[in-house]
Amino acid sequence: MIFSNLINLEKVSRSFGPASSRFDALKEIDLIIKQGEYIAIVGKSGSGKSTLLNMLTGIDHPSSGSVTINGTVVHTLNESSLATWRGKNIGIVFQFFQLIPTLTIIENILMAMDFVGVIPQKDRKKRAEALLTQTGILSQANKFPSTLSGGEQQRAAIARALANDPPIIVADEPTGNLDSKTTEVIKSLFSGLVKAGKTVIVVTHEQVSRTEFGRIITLKDGRVVEDK
Amino acid sequence: MNMVVKKAWGDLKVNLGRTMLVIFALSIGLWGVGSIIVSNSILTHDLRKNFLDTVPPQAILSSKDFYKVDINEIRKMPNIECAEYRDLSLLRIEVNPDEWIPLWLFGVENFNQFNMAKVYPQKGLQTPSPGTLLIERDGLLISHLIIGSRARIRAGKNKFKVLISGINFDPAQAPATQDHFIYAYTDKKTYSAISGKSHDQRLIVRFKEVRSKKEVEYATDKLILGLKSKKISVNSINIPKFNEHPHQWQLNTLLFIVGVIGLLAFIMGAVLVSQLMSAILASQVRQIGILKAIGGSKRKIFHIYLFMLLVFGVVSGMIAIPLALSTGYAFSRFVAQIINFDILTTTLPLRIYVYLTAASIFLPILLSLPIILKGLNGSVLEALNDYGVGRSSLKKKTDTVSKTRSTGIFTLALRNTMRKKTRLAITVISMALGVAIFSTGFNVRQSIYDLLSNFRDGLRYDVQVVINEGIDREAFLLPFKNIDNIKTIEAWNGGRGELQSQISKTTDGIGIISLPAETKLLKLNIIEGRMLRKSPETEILINQQARELMHNPKVGDTLVLNLKDKAIKTKLVGITEEFEKSKIYIDEAQYDALVNPKHLVNSLMFVAKDDRYDKVIELKKSIERAVEASDLNVIYVMSQAERVKVIYDHLQIVLATILFLAMLVLIVSALGMTSATSINIMERTREIGIMRAIGATPKMIYRIFILEGMILSTVSVFLGIVLAWPLSIVASYFFGNLMLGDQAVLRYAFSLEGFWVTLIATTIFGYFASLIPARKAIMVSTRTALSYE
Repeated sequence: MIFSNLINLEKVSRSFGPASSRFDALKEIDLIIKQGEYIAIVGKSGSGKSTLLNMLTGIDHPSSGSVTINGTVVHTLNESSLATWRGKNIGIVFQFFQLIPTLTIIENILMAMDFVGVIPQKDRKKRAEALLTQTGILSQANKFPSTLSGGEQQRAAIARALANDPPIIVADEPTGNLDSKTTEVIKSLFSGLVKAGKTVIVVTHEQVSRTEFGRIITLKDGRVVEDK
Repeated sequence: MNMVVKKAWGDLKVNLGRTMLVIFALSIGLWGVGSIIVSNSILTHDLRKNFLDTVPPQAILSSKDFYKVDINEIRKMPNIECAEYRDLSLLRIEVNPDEWIPLWLFGVENFNQFNMAKVYPQKGLQTPSPGTLLIERDGLLISHLIIGSRARIRAGKNKFKVLISGINFDPAQAPATQDHFIYAYTDKKTYSAISGKSHDQRLIVRFKEVRSKKEVEYATDKLILGLKSKKISVNSINIPKFNEHPHQWQLNTLLFIVGVIGLLAFIMGAVLVSQLMSAILASQVRQIGILKAIGGSKRKIFHIYLFMLLVFGVVSGMIAIPLALSTGYAFSRFVAQIINFDILTTTLPLRIYVYLTAASIFLPILLSLPIILKGLNGSVLEALNDYGVGRSSLKKKTDTVSKTRSTGIFTLALRNTMRKKTRLAITVISMALGVAIFSTGFNVRQSIYDLLSNFRDGLRYDVQVVINEGIDREAFLLPFKNIDNIKTIEAWNGGRGELQSQISKTTDGIGIISLPAETKLLKLNIIEGRMLRKSPETEILINQQARELMHNPKVGDTLVLNLKDKAIKTKLVGITEEFEKSKIYIDEAQYDALVNPKHLVNSLMFVAKDDRYDKVIELKKSIERAVEASDLNVIYVMSQAERVKVIYDHLQIVLATILFLAMLVLIVSALGMTSATSINIMERTREIGIMRAIGATPKMIYRIFILEGMILSTVSVFLGIVLAWPLSIVASYFFGNLMLGDQAVLRYAFSLEGFWVTLIATTIFGYFASLIPARKAIMVSTRTALSYE
């Protein structure tokens, strides 16, 4: 397994509000994440987990410091380039799945491929079916999201995150809305992805163990208080 | 199918109701504007073509001396394109038992070869057999006359029964239905036999290379000089408006109204579409965030909404364009029937289809573009965190109403109304505009009614009898001596005069009314200067149409008039407003002293003792019977009520169109309000769930939304009625100009009837605009509402 530096955060801070009532969500965070790592970012509500995730996905820009992912200084990209870059490099899994309700499951995956265009047109359907097979919901391919269970929707969201074969998967509370049995299925899917060489970063407020994740980063008041 | 297309298509399908509403709104707007584009193209082209294809005369000269010269000599004169005799006499014809109206009898040189002033055969004979007439087709609508019937005609004391041998069509004449005339055409011999006049006394002429009325006037002056050299003295000259149908003003007025109101309806439809697009985007902010998060660039996401707009445009176009073509043609046929011309357009120019297609496809895109770009410009973070109304904005917005001390549902409804200020402003403005236009329609109608009413009030006689030429007063009065129900009779005189131009005595003939300066039978609406008085100077008073013809002289100016070949210096003392042809009023004592030494009169004004409508009509019939038994050469006998009806018939089409279109605008505005309320409710579905969860009954929620709708419509109605005031002034000004001439003023009038209709209609519309979405809101279950994103 190659552990080259994939993500590099240098003195990243993020503040909100005017100077008089400024809230510092992140305070000078330094973080290096290598390829193939399986990381949990944990912390209580308000610790800065979601802000850090937004930094890692390019959804938000730091107030100071820099975020370099896969050789690209993310916060220098404009909105349009950022969208394409994100599609190629990062697969995002949301807590509430966020599938497009008017498209079927397979169409949700195909749309992500259409946006980025790295997968050749002729291979897209085959790849989408392969991803649905991988996540165990091929039989649901032509159904609309509203007809699927929460677990199935989250598996569809993971399949969509993998659509363009990005090296990094970022998941925001991916099991927060699921029962324990489904949670286990999702966790095993992530483990499988790590074994396949993907870098998986999971943000969670749940208790996690080292046996499950390769690395656990704990945040408190916008700072990394533990990284083991 | 491309995923972008599929996503857009899915969004359209999932909100089918909203999609249908957008298509409906856009279709209505497009239908309105499309009908206008189509009818405008057809009417403008066809009225002009109908008129110009007749090769209308540019000048009409009357003289008793034309026999001195061969017509071919006139035709050979420089600048003459063509010339022929087309005699005309004003007679009377019985159109229904005991109902006589003016007859314009034309004597035609050759029915088989018209070089100008063409008339077209329609039925029966093309050339009337000797002793018979052809009747212009529009006259059939106001008479019992048909081919084969014998028309009763009076020419002075002579009475005839003349066979109608055919029907023809003369698109160059003012419509008989509106002017209450019959036009008839016969050969020269029959013309002379019926009218008792010699033929070849009225010359119609067209000039070479003239491009304006001024050039025609100049050419006519030269022609008159040429005729003078041949010892021909011209009695009267009439130069009609250059290349313009006599009822072009009516068409212009209609097209103006239809154009303005239709355009407003379209703008409102477009505002509605952009509002709905804004709502679609508002409900999809999070989706846009997700699309961006999974790699969708702005351009790609823009394509989704572009496709949606294209679908709206294409579907609306498919519905509205055929409808617009059909109603455009139908409206054109309706107008053509009223103005009496044929619709000639069978294929519209390609540019019309291009306009219609462009309007359906590009306008929704252009109008929604700023909203889409605004929707796409938000950051992913903002999009993902969107929960409808932002807390900060809500705080700021509710602060503005926090000072209101009311409590409960009203406060909540008021605050909710104020939540989205831009949408509130657009909704209120478009609804207020609809109310204002609707109200303006009524106010303009009231202004026209007031004008007619003033006109009617000004005419304080009940029946008028006009004869062809002046006779002795006593001889004129004699036939009417034994008629009951006559309070007083006043005798006036009149004729035609010309304004002296710089070159010679040309330009248009203007009606001269000579009446006692102190008459009580006419109360003119003086808009400038004063009424006639006994004066050492020759005073004249003119109406605004005469002012326009006389190139806008000012009160106090000295004008030279040609009256019966005498050039007379007159002083302009006042200007009156009338819906009439150009007229000059002059004191009878001065008129008689100048040109009427025998004190002849040609009009009798009868005032009825009992002036109820049926009694006046009875009086008129008695007068008609007396006329029939007499030798009088009567042009017309008209009751004041009929006179007002003639004017009203001219305006009816305009008034009906104003109200119909104003109603259309109001409906489109109400649709806009319904959509805005629907959007507000849709955006607050989750909030409805929360309210339901904490104990609000469906009835309470229903009341909140109804109240919100009523607040919106109350504010809109108030603003609309206020806005209607300046709008009515401007509209009255425009209509006045179009209908009555450049200098005319159609005064602003407030229509109380219109106010109540507007208030009731908009309150009902406002109520239903809230009712439908409010009902929809309470149908949603608490669970569905709470899970709505």
